[in-house]
Amino acid sequence: MNASTEAVTPAPSRPWLQPIWLGRAVALAAGVLLVVYPMVSDDIYYQNMIILSLIFAVGASGLNIISGFAGYISLGQGAFLGLGGYTIGVLAVRFPDASPWLWVPLGGVVAAGVALILGFVSLRSSGPAFVIITVAFLFLVQVIAVNWVSLTNGTTGLTLPLPTWDRDIMNWPFYYVLVAILALQLLMTWWIRRTKLGMGLIAIREDETKAATIGINLPVQKIVAFMASALFVGMAGAVYGYYLTFIDPRGMFSILISVQLILSMLIGGKATLWGPVIGAFLVEWLNEMANNDWGGGNTRLFLFGGLLVVVVIFLPKGIIPAIESVLSWRRTKGKAGLVGARIGTGGSLASITDRVQLVDRSEIPDRALLEVRDLKRHFGGVKAVDGASFTVPEGSITGLIGPNGSGKTTLFNLIDDTIRAESGEILLDGRRIDGLRSWQRAHLGLGRTFQITRLFREMTVLENVVAVQRRFSIAQLGRIAVSGAEAKAAEELLEFVGMRAFRDQQARALSYGQQKLVELAQILMLDPKLILLDEPAGGINPVLIERMGEMIRELNSYGKTFLIVEHNMPFVLGLCDPIHVLARGRTMASGTPEEIQRDPAVIDAYLGDDFVLEEKVAP
Amino acid sequence: MTELLQNLLLGLLLGGVYALAASGLTLIFGVMRVINIAHGAYLILASFITYWLWDSFGIDPLLAIVITTPIVFALGWVTYKVVVSPIRTAPMASTVLLTFGLALVVEGAMGEIWGNNSTAIRPSYADESFIMGGLFLPKAQVYGGLIAVVVLVLLWGVLTKTWLGRAIRAAATNPSSAELVGIKVSAVAALVFALGIAAAGAGGAITGVLYPFVPGSHYQWIARLLAIVVLGGLGSLNGAVLGAIMFGLAETLTSAYVSPSWATAVPYAIVFLVLLIRPQGLLGTRLREDAVAA
Amino acid sequence: MSHVSLRRAWTAMALTGVLALGLAACGGDDSEGGEGDSSAPIRIGSSLPLTGEFSQPGQAAKQGYEVWQKMVNDAGGLLGRDVELVIKDDASNQNTVVSDFNALIGQDKVDLLLGTFSSLLNLPASAVAEKNQMLYVEPAGGSPDMFNRGFKYLFFTQQATADKQGKVFAEWVAALPEDQRPKTAAYPTLDDPFAAPNVAGIQEVLEAAGIETVYQETYAIDTKNFDTIVNAMKNADPDVVVHGAQFEDGIGLTRSMLKAGFAPDMFYETNAPSFGAQYSDGVGAENTEGVLYAVSHSPEADTPGNAEFVAKYQEMFGTDEVPEDAADGFAAAQVMQAAVEAVGSIDDQGALADWLRENEVDTILGSLSWDETGAPTGEFLIGQWQNGKPEVVLPADVSTADIEIGWKPGASG
Repeated sequence: MNASTEAVTPAPSRPWLQPIWLGRAVALAAGVLLVVYPMVSDDIYYQNMIILSLIFAVGASGLNIISGFAGYISLGQGAFLGLGGYTIGVLAVRFPDASPWLWVPLGGVVAAGVALILGFVSLRSSGPAFVIITVAFLFLVQVIAVNWVSLTNGTTGLTLPLPTWDRDIMNWPFYYVLVAILALQLLMTWWIRRTKLGMGLIAIREDETKAATIGINLPVQKIVAFMASALFVGMAGAVYGYYLTFIDPRGMFSILISVQLILSMLIGGKATLWGPVIGAFLVEWLNEMANNDWGGGNTRLFLFGGLLVVVVIFLPKGIIPAIESVLSWRRTKGKAGLVGARIGTGGSLASITDRVQLVDRSEIPDRALLEVRDLKRHFGGVKAVDGASFTVPEGSITGLIGPNGSGKTTLFNLIDDTIRAESGEILLDGRRIDGLRSWQRAHLGLGRTFQITRLFREMTVLENVVAVQRRFSIAQLGRIAVSGAEAKAAEELLEFVGMRAFRDQQARALSYGQQKLVELAQILMLDPKLILLDEPAGGINPVLIERMGEMIRELNSYGKTFLIVEHNMPFVLGLCDPIHVLARGRTMASGTPEEIQRDPAVIDAYLGDDFVLEEKVAP
Repeated sequence: MTELLQNLLLGLLLGGVYALAASGLTLIFGVMRVINIAHGAYLILASFITYWLWDSFGIDPLLAIVITTPIVFALGWVTYKVVVSPIRTAPMASTVLLTFGLALVVEGAMGEIWGNNSTAIRPSYADESFIMGGLFLPKAQVYGGLIAVVVLVLLWGVLTKTWLGRAIRAAATNPSSAELVGIKVSAVAALVFALGIAAAGAGGAITGVLYPFVPGSHYQWIARLLAIVVLGGLGSLNGAVLGAIMFGLAETLTSAYVSPSWATAVPYAIVFLVLLIRPQGLLGTRLREDAVAA
Repeated sequence: MSHVSLRRAWTAMALTGVLALGLAACGGDDSEGGEGDSSAPIRIGSSLPLTGEFSQPGQAAKQGYEVWQKMVNDAGGLLGRDVELVIKDDASNQNTVVSDFNALIGQDKVDLLLGTFSSLLNLPASAVAEKNQMLYVEPAGGSPDMFNRGFKYLFFTQQATADKQGKVFAEWVAALPEDQRPKTAAYPTLDDPFAAPNVAGIQEVLEAAGIETVYQETYAIDTKNFDTIVNAMKNADPDVVVHGAQFEDGIGLTRSMLKAGFAPDMFYETNAPSFGAQYSDGVGAENTEGVLYAVSHSPEADTPGNAEFVAKYQEMFGTDEVPEDAADGFAAAQVMQAAVEAVGSIDDQGALADWLRENEVDTILGSLSWDETGAPTGEFLIGQWQNGKPEVVLPADVSTADIEIGWKPGASG
């Protein structure tokens, strides 16, 4: 971390990147205590409690990747522990001479493999449907374990031999292997949070449709996340099975384990590094207390159920984020926030970045970069886009105007596949793209802003920009995003739009105009050939409108092609050529600004009942 | 042939009771976008209340519906006010977790009050059947099915023929517009939640007579009910009825012609397949949180 | 940020660590904790499924342990010391039962262990005891898989493992005269490590005797609706139904049979009918007449101490009904007591185990003995409901009534 940039960080969303050495010292001390504990105490009660806590910590931390980062709440996480357990059980019974430890990594592989399959089949669902599917998955795996007797020995279960090592260190191997697995799990979580993959997952959580438009390959990201959330959990499950020495469907695939995992993650704090770990230790400790000191079974139900209710209502973000916000509130109390700070004056793109490819305008061929042919999309009886056709010449700033409800935004949505067109063709650079998904279109050079900005609200400005994926490859998912080359490029683009000072500000804290600027920097990260701007001048102050115009012109001078929807007529007429007029879902006129201004049909359309200049209000 | 007919008949009778139990779940989802995981717990709670009325006061368990249902209705209303309404605007996944927590609390409470032993309600007719030709129709199931149909028709009448029903549908389709025309959406929501729970209560009174139960039985019920409403289409009452009947048949036929040990897999397999192939269910509208704001 | 909550989570851990060190320093850091004080009570730990799926038998077993404790303490204690019970609730949950036994050994420092209920829980729990080299006497966990793991400290204190519990009944059926012997049999069974081997054991004997199997299915634990199973059985029309059941499904299947008007000549069911009044309430007292079942204990049996146990139980819990599972719990404690008293000390748990392997113990279930694996080598009792009352009908030498052929639902009560 660069110390000088830390100084201007008012409210970071990445607690573990903060050089709060005291915190690290405590974490280190806790780690040391954890490692030496079995050597200084032979109390098997606490050893057992820690062993179970470690298992749940791995499980919750894994869950955190798919549920905390990507926002897909899963109640089937316990299944991966069970699959790991069954892996070691089945193999240890088949190969009695081999050490069961050999099968622990394999437990992880099996869990990740099943996660891959589940990922494929559950991709179509989201929100509650996803939660239900994960529950169904858990029970289905259980039913299979019950009925596939030849492999699993059915409800009778599998018994593992007792470990043969010295009974004085009976729990040590389980204990230390789990510590190591947890360390690996945390390392992976920490690493993912810093990579393109992690940025993409959080983007998916915040706004999945938008994430697709900035080049994030949704299915691949989600499947990779699913596998990552299962890998170490499967290994921990294998150790769990060996530790219990008995594996049966009811115990291994109990829904209560999944509930405990999700509760641990929520209480500690989702999408944080340490939250799930702290939650797991806390919940398991409460669990044991409830069982040993507070009355047993029914108390445990009250405790778990009550905690879930209380956490969801009062502590939806969990302990760590709650403490974080208290601390940051105390730290910034009395100091002016950055939100009121001035937007930078920006700079010339050519001098500050090599991220955006610059083209000599004289080399631009005279051809259509984007061609739309007879595009259609109806919503019930509403013919939002009804046979629109037009072209955007390469190197132009093309305007798209029309009365409210004429289908401009829907047209944008069709072009970038936010909504799938019913019929018609879309060609980018001479290539059909109407069969492609949003991220594929983005990779081919299509960038798009939204009428009402759609930044990822819980991410910082910098993270919003580095979340963009210019092209797709598995390898680049593993690239570090929050520092290094990606961060540098993002900062340069933020400099260009004048928002560099805000880089560590959360997007939701920005003003509407500031959000527009960041969204522009965000899509520039794609280095698009064609930039679709949906009302770039809407709802922002005149100074900013002027600045917006300048930037568009500058980008255009370097060869960027624009398609702009805008209600601000002077802005459009001063900037765009050619201009297409859309009415009732079709293009009714095209031409230079002068031609459009003189076209009687256009004047008629605008002066008709529809002609109301909409007031755009910042959210 | 008789065997098949008998199995179909049993499946249909089962489906009628399932339909009643599932109607509340789908109603609550349709209006409030809340998947009430605690639905099964309230169903079992109603079974226990029915047991208590039958055991302590000798009230016929099926007639006791007129007492049980209002009690459960009140409980549902209180539940809504205390725990559900604070998170009305939270993401759906949060409400799933919340109601799951609720289910655990209700389970614990039932264990404290009535104990964790298996409980059975056996009125005099519990194990008798009507015999028709070679077929048998268990009396409790026939009565239960008839009551289920009556309650469902009443519910349907309320939803389609009354001002309240129109208010409920308005609140479901467009809450903000409903507020504009003078519908208190929060009051409607509380009412719908209570009504949905009450329907589960009526179902619980019947199932308590049909099958023995323990506090933990609610897991099996919520799994079935979810499968039914997902199959029928979340939020669709007609869908729930159709789904319930198909589900009852599927379960019965799997048990009879495949193997009873796979019958319990039916709900999960159905959920899985439906959400994959036709996420909106048989009669439902598409279930998506991220409806495009265009 | 993270440090604050980290500290919070670790404080407890750190404190307990320090505490444990302190305790270790005082206690000399060995498992004989308070051994020096010979007047201190002997602490006996167990974890039972007091809630959840197996709460029914779990609660009863707890009562059995408590009756034993009362009787031992009234009689002057064990080795002259009072007996103290530490019983935890594992909620029928495997990782909880493991935690509980670890807590009993590590935290509560109990001197002796008594087992939990059901094979599913005893399998993982007995491994904890084995790892810690503590005697593990368990009242109910008769799955044959319990005993093929080479455990040294495990003993099961009923008369036979699950696969042999129906043997007496099966052999009686096979030996019936030709005209009374059933020709066809149905075997519905719960998919469970206890019920399934039990039924399989009977099926083997009956098939060897030429009784044709016309129906055989296992169903899952959460099966609620037995109408289709019964309908299929009815169509197969067997002379005898052998049902492998726990409690709830036993009631459920019987009621479905009544509804379907299906009454085979002979009806044998594991477990459920041994639950006394709970069973007869569940299926209706009038429908119990002639139902056969395997049972480990009879309140009327003339075994040493049985009358005292029954009286004490009735006194303590105010019911006439003595659940079989309470008797099983009591017998497990008796077995442990016998070993402790014979060895004269609780220091060497290996010696206790060795003694049990060598000797027979008289219990309220009769005389018990074990093979090398800790599996019992006796014969189970067969019970039958007659005139609304459970009776022991086989083997003949311990029976309280003569066996009657035929299930006659609606006949008695």
